[in-house]
Formats: sequence, structure tokens, C-alpha cells
Amino acid sequence: MLLFLLRRIGVMFVTALCLTLVVFYLTNLPAKLETLAKTQAGSRMTDEEVARWIDRNGYGSPVLVRYGEWLGVLPGWVREADDGTVTGRCVALRDDPAAAGTRCGLLQGEWGFSTRFRDEVASVIGARLGATGLLMMWVLIVMVPMALLVGVLAGMREGSRTDRTLSTFAIATTATPEYVSGVLFIALLASSTVGLSPLLVSWGWIDGPVLFQGNARSALDTITLSNFTLPVLTIALYGMGYVARITRASMTEVMTQQYIRTARLKGVSFANIVLKHALRNALIAPFTVIMLQIPWLLNGVVISEVLFSYPGFGWTLYEAAVNNDIELLLASSVVAVIVVLVTQLMSDIGYVYLNPRIRIS
Amino acid sequence: MKDMIHGSGDVHAAARMYARECTEGKLSRREFLTRATALGVAVPTAYGLLGLAAPEAQAQTPMMGGTLRMQMSIKAQRDPRTWDWSELANACRGWLEYLVDYQRDGTLTPVLLESWEASEDAKTYTLHIRPGVKWNNGDDLTAAHIAHNFERWCDASVEGNSMATRMGSLVEDGAVRAGGLEVVDDLTLRVNLAQPDIALMVSIADYPAAVVHPAFTGDDPVANPIGTGPYLPTSYEPGIGATVVRNADHTWWNEGNGAWLDQIEFVDLGTDPAAWIAAAEAGEIDLNYQAQGDIIDIFDAIGMPRSEAVTAATIAVRFNQDSEPYNNRDVRRALQMAVNNAIVLELGYNDLGTVAENHHVCPIHPEYAQLPALSVDGAAARAAVEAAGLGDYEFELISIDEPWQAETCDAVAAQVRDAGINIARTILPGATFWNDWTKYPWSATEWNMRPLGVQVLNLAYRSGVPWNETAFSNAEFDGLLDQANGIADADARRTVMQRLEEIMQEEGVMIQPYWRSIFRNARPDVHGAEMHPTFVVDYVNYWKS
Repeated sequence: MLLFLLRRIGVMFVTALCLTLVVFYLTNLPAKLETLAKTQAGSRMTDEEVARWIDRNGYGSPVLVRYGEWLGVLPGWVREADDGTVTGRCVALRDDPAAAGTRCGLLQGEWGFSTRFRDEVASVIGARLGATGLLMMWVLIVMVPMALLVGVLAGMREGSRTDRTLSTFAIATTATPEYVSGVLFIALLASSTVGLSPLLVSWGWIDGPVLFQGNARSALDTITLSNFTLPVLTIALYGMGYVARITRASMTEVMTQQYIRTARLKGVSFANIVLKHALRNALIAPFTVIMLQIPWLLNGVVISEVLFSYPGFGWTLYEAAVNNDIELLLASSVVAVIVVLVTQLMSDIGYVYLNPRIRIS
Repeated sequence: MKDMIHGSGDVHAAARMYARECTEGKLSRREFLTRATALGVAVPTAYGLLGLAAPEAQAQTPMMGGTLRMQMSIKAQRDPRTWDWSELANACRGWLEYLVDYQRDGTLTPVLLESWEASEDAKTYTLHIRPGVKWNNGDDLTAAHIAHNFERWCDASVEGNSMATRMGSLVEDGAVRAGGLEVVDDLTLRVNLAQPDIALMVSIADYPAAVVHPAFTGDDPVANPIGTGPYLPTSYEPGIGATVVRNADHTWWNEGNGAWLDQIEFVDLGTDPAAWIAAAEAGEIDLNYQAQGDIIDIFDAIGMPRSEAVTAATIAVRFNQDSEPYNNRDVRRALQMAVNNAIVLELGYNDLGTVAENHHVCPIHPEYAQLPALSVDGAAARAAVEAAGLGDYEFELISIDEPWQAETCDAVAAQVRDAGINIARTILPGATFWNDWTKYPWSATEWNMRPLGVQVLNLAYRSGVPWNETAFSNAEFDGLLDQANGIADADARRTVMQRLEEIMQEEGVMIQPYWRSIFRNARPDVHGAEMHPTFVVDYVNYWKS
């Protein structure tokens, strides 16, 4: 078990290293650095000014050297101006001129500085991950029970009318990407001129102009049914259909097993067969899928957080990418790698408890 | 009221002449007001020269209190003189004030100045600083502080310092020219220019000219908010929003004439207008920053009526004369000839503006000279392109992905195509577009308005200036422009301007299809927040009922 864990964590480090190297290289292409200079110091700068800015702000040294600085294996850049003021990577990060020339990278616990948000990367990522954590929690609370219920109901009797109806629903939701369903929801439920809201208002059923808010910015302060329903629903429905399909497939397979037939012949009631005999076995496959679904949901989070302007991790990733915020993008990729591998680890360990035939050596 | 409030009892001779022109109908009232106030004539006096009373600023009595929420993009702050977006300035207008403000009606209002005078030759400006103005750290505002700001503006060694170009004739070797600034006494500063410059006063009304305290050294006016205004920032998160609240510990010089709102919240909802509408529907914003195209109508429909500002803002579908095949004047002129600007206005901008004439001088500019109408002839355009040996050449027109700009370029391209000339369209995302905006062979650039016609010509078409995206370099043009910069008299300047406009057209510098009107939507209970021609969000004067 320990060996397995160690191996997994080792894989995590190697993956993170490779991924950050690729991201670092791509965000440090000369054209990208020019974008950065222009977003930082004026979009209408001349080429000489750009070159001067890049040089003065420590982006002039070779890519690998700067990657080393970011990792913390090489000392950060230092520059002394004509009037004797010392600037440098560590001076800015630690706010202390004495830190010039020391190592201040990931290994020293410094995640760097976000050029887009003008703040420490660690605090930006921390705040945004918290916001996304809340979103994901609500997504899972809505998605998992709904998916399992739909899947189990559909898989109980293969080919029945319930099965056909629920399967159609599941396929429809999973075939509709977030950027389609999100826009549909906004048009149907969050507009005072089209969709359901004007009807409900004219019937006097709702007080405000709209049923749900098509913008989740206020959820940053307080989460309400009104401002959080649509983003949660948008992400949850997409994952829901997929998990429901897996649950149904697993359930139908279990329901054809010999021991279920035996139980039936013995006269056990259908409800008991489903709840006591079939359910646990049928949930093994969906469990893994749900775990794998979490990193996959991070995709959906990017789209729907931007769509509903909810400043979470996905929104931050988008903003960092658009503004070529190098250190924020690197930190985001490290977080993404950790999320993927930790959920995989959890699914592997959980699997052992659900399925006694499997053992981690 | 005595004229003495602006230092000298005499009204500038040119201002009297403008008043005569205005009553004779040669000048519109707006043009008159811009020019007269730029010469140091106080607004009531300027109206008085026309025999009118200055209009009351507010018809209703403003109410104190309330929180205003406005959709506006919040970008990472930096040194004010390097600001390249009006939004950066707007967020800080509550504590960083200006020497003078450019008003919606085209006048200049003194803010930190009490008055100013220009010499006859427009080479010497005497600035009278308003007495009794205090910084919010308790210091008094003095002429030395203003001189310090002029020095900052003239420092061309700072990357991206756009004030250095605006200060033009005050800058020598990347700094203030020797003897350029003269602190006469605590409240008087004299500015001595090398060349006459009639645009100095409107330049210091421009958004990067925010007046900062001498103690301000960093690049973040939010982290270090020493200013003279009545508000202070309490939060500022790029991409998310900013909050500004009334500063209870500071006595503002204009107490009682503004600072009505308790708090202003700027909400950054990204660039997708659909998100702004969703937020408006959800009751999360009271007004938007700027609405464009169909979005204006949608906001109208959900109970947020529009306000309009007629501007000299425009889009320049310009050629870069350093690039093949646009180094050939005949090609540039042929492409111009293929395009009917009125159709571009209709298809590309929903007719929300007025047709322009490819020379970047607007009818609302004081020195605008009427030229003969442009001719449109697709067949002749095709013939000229063939004569240049480019019959099979595929032209490429680049634009940013902003809808109205892309649609405008589409309308240009469609007409070029109709003339039988091959053309491809490329749309670049905003993040990459600005990397090379001065270098694209043929692309469209948005230009905000400047109050005087000579200003944009100085900024964008003089040989070798940083924002010269057309690579236009013409000795006759530069010479005439220098000449125009020193002529305070409108008619005299207009004759020079006419030739400048003609050169722009003859050289086929660009297709400049229309002047934009700009729009803002606000809830009916928001007052004083009408759209401003230069996108000023002067929330100090906004109020809610």
C-alpha cells in the first residue's frame, strides 16, 4: 500500500514537472512576452520600450534559467539600476532588498506573482479554488444522487418504458455541452423579456423580474438559490447523463446475474432484490466514473464560470491564459495535475473497499 | 460676477473673434465653447460672449447617499501617465483629480486650476492654481506640485508614458525643456512652450493627466491613494471589480457640489455583453460602461434607457505604407475608391454615427474644413489595382474580434470584393491583436476622440511618432501641422487644415468610414451619468434618486 502511494506521488511529481515545463516554454515564447509587456505597461508601446521592459523585469534571461528560478533551484534574477536601487525576483516577492540573489521558487514555497491580478499567486489560487470548491460541491450534491437514481431506475428493467424515457433524457443531457445548455438556461429562465420569467411575472408567481439570475457574480458574497442554480445545473446536467448511462449499464448487467435470478425464484420481492442484492455490485463501476468525472468537470467549470462570470478556478485559468499570466498559469497547471491524480488515487483506494476481489499490493 | 476670477480681466482676443464667428453662424456653439475655454475663458464668460446664460448643471437637486453599481472593466493599475485605457482613469477619478475637465458639451471646466490664460502666440500659458485645495494627507496643493506633475508627464524615459507625446513642445531630450516651467508663486505656474501649441489645455484634460502627489512613486495609485478628491478606494481586484467610498476624513475643496454617492461599485463582467445583460436582468448593475450595436436596444428593452454622446471617435481602416503592396499610393487610393463609407456606416455600425471622409478630421472639430465629396467607383478601383499588377493578388484585412469592428471590416471587404478585387478577412483575438497593431499591412484600429482636429494628426500621422500606424511620412504634412499647431485663429487654421485634409486624401492614408456616436444605458434613477464623448466616468457628480 505504502509503495503504491509513493509510486503514485512520484508519478504526480514527474507529470507536474513535464507539464509546467511545457506551459513555461509556451508562455515564454517571444511573442507571448511581448503581449505580457504590452498588457503590463501600455498596449501602445513601441518595440524599443517593449524590449526595455522585458529586460528590466527579468524576462530577458534564457527560458531554462528562468524555469529554474521559478522552481527555486537557481537564484532569482537581480538588477541594479543606475541610482543604486536593486530590483529582482526575490526582492519583489519577499518585499525585501536583502533577498536579492537568493532562491525563491516553488521549492521555497513561493508560487510567484500574478501579473493579471497584481497579487501573490498563492492567494489568488487559494481564493479562487475555494470558490470553485463550493461550486463543485453543489454540482456533486445535485449530480451524483440524480445520476444514480436515474441510472438505477433505468437499469432495473432493461427495455421497459421507464428505461427508454430515462435513457433518452440521460443521452440528451450528456450530448449537450455546457456552452449550449448554459445559454439555453439563461434564455429560458433568466431573461425578463423571453422564456419563462415574463410568464411567471404576469401570473404573479415571482417577485423579481427573473426566475433565476443569469449571472453568478453575487454568489461570491452569498450563495442563493437564485444566483447559483443555473451554473450548478449547467455543469451537473452534463456530467449527470454520463454517470447515469454507466450506472444503467452496470445495473442491467447485475440484474442478469445468476444470483439475482435465484433470488427471484426464491420469491424475494423486487424492491429487496434491487436494494439489497443488486445495488452494491452495480455501484462499483459508477464510483470510478464519478471520481474520474471530477477532473473532467474542471473543463466544464472553465466554460460555465466564464459564462456566468463566477470568479473561480476555471475563470482564473481563462483569465491567466488570455492575459499570458505566466506564474498563475503554471500554478494552475500544478493544481490541475494534483486534482487529477488525487481523484484517481481516491478512486483506486475506494475501489478496494467496494470490490473485495481487488487488492492493492 | 467679475471676470477677475480667472486672473486677468481681459478676454482673449481670439475668443472674442470666435464669438463673432459663432453668432455669424460660422462656428457651432459646441466648437465655440471648446475653443474659447481652451484659451482660458471661463465657461459663464464664454456663454456670456454669445449673450447667453450658462445652462444650469442640474435641473433637479441631487440627492445624497446611495450605492451605484456600474459594469466596467477593471484592469491592473499602473502609473497614471502610462494609462492606455480610460477605465484605468475612471476608477481613480474619485481621488485623483485633473487640472481641467473636458465636459460633455465641449467646454473645459477648471478643477484644480482656478483659471488660466494663453498668450497671443499660444506659446506661454499661465496657470492659476485653485487656492484652498488640500491633498487627503493634509498637504496644501501648490504650484510646485503641479510643476512636478508636468515633469512626470514630460519624462519620455518611462516606458509607455503617453503624456510625453501629448506634451510635445514642452519636451526636449526626453524631459522638460530648460525654462519650460516657471513657478511664479505658490499658486501660479507658467508654462513656456518651444512651439505654439493650442492643444495644451485639452491635453491636460485627457485621462492620463491625473494629478498625483509628489510622494507618489510607485506604479499603483490604488495602493497609494493620495489625491485631492472626495473618495477613496476600498477594494480593487482586476477582472472582478472595485469599490470606492466617500472619504470621511478629508475636506474636499468642492464640498457640497458633488460626491453625492456613498459608494460606487465597479463590476467587471468580462467582455461578453450577454453577461452584462444577464447581470442587469438580475439587478446587479445600475448602468453599463458602454453599449454597442444590438446590445443598446436590448438594454433599452429591459428598462435601462440609452444616453448618446456624439463624438469624433472613429475606426481607421488604415494601410501601413511600409508594407507591400500598400507602399503603392495608387493601390491605397483604389481600395478607398471601392468603398462607399455610407454603406460601411449602415452595415458595420447600424447607422449610429455620421459619415467620415478618410482624413480623420471631424465636423465637430473646430478647424474642420469641408472638402468635395469622395467619389466611389468600383470599376475604376479594379482597373487601378490591375494597373498596379495586382489583378490576382489577395488583399488581407485584419481586425480585432470586437463585433462592431469586425462587422465594419466585413462591410469594407464586401465592397472591395464587389469591385472584383480579391480580399480575405482575418479576425484576431484582443489578446494578440494589440501586439502588432502598428505593423499590420492593412487593419482596423479604434481611435478615441480628441477635442481638437490637430491632436489626432499630431498623435498618429506625424512622421515617426510612436502611434503612427500608417507609417505615413510626409514633409509637407509635418510642416503644415507645425504651422497649424500655432494658429489660434480658427479661420486661419482652417485654411491650413484644408490642405492637411487634402494631403490625407491624396495620399490614400486610410479608409475612415464614419464617426461613432457612443451609448450608455442606465436605470432611470441614475442621474448625471450620461455617456461622455471621451468615456469619462466622473462618478463624483453622479447621483441616485
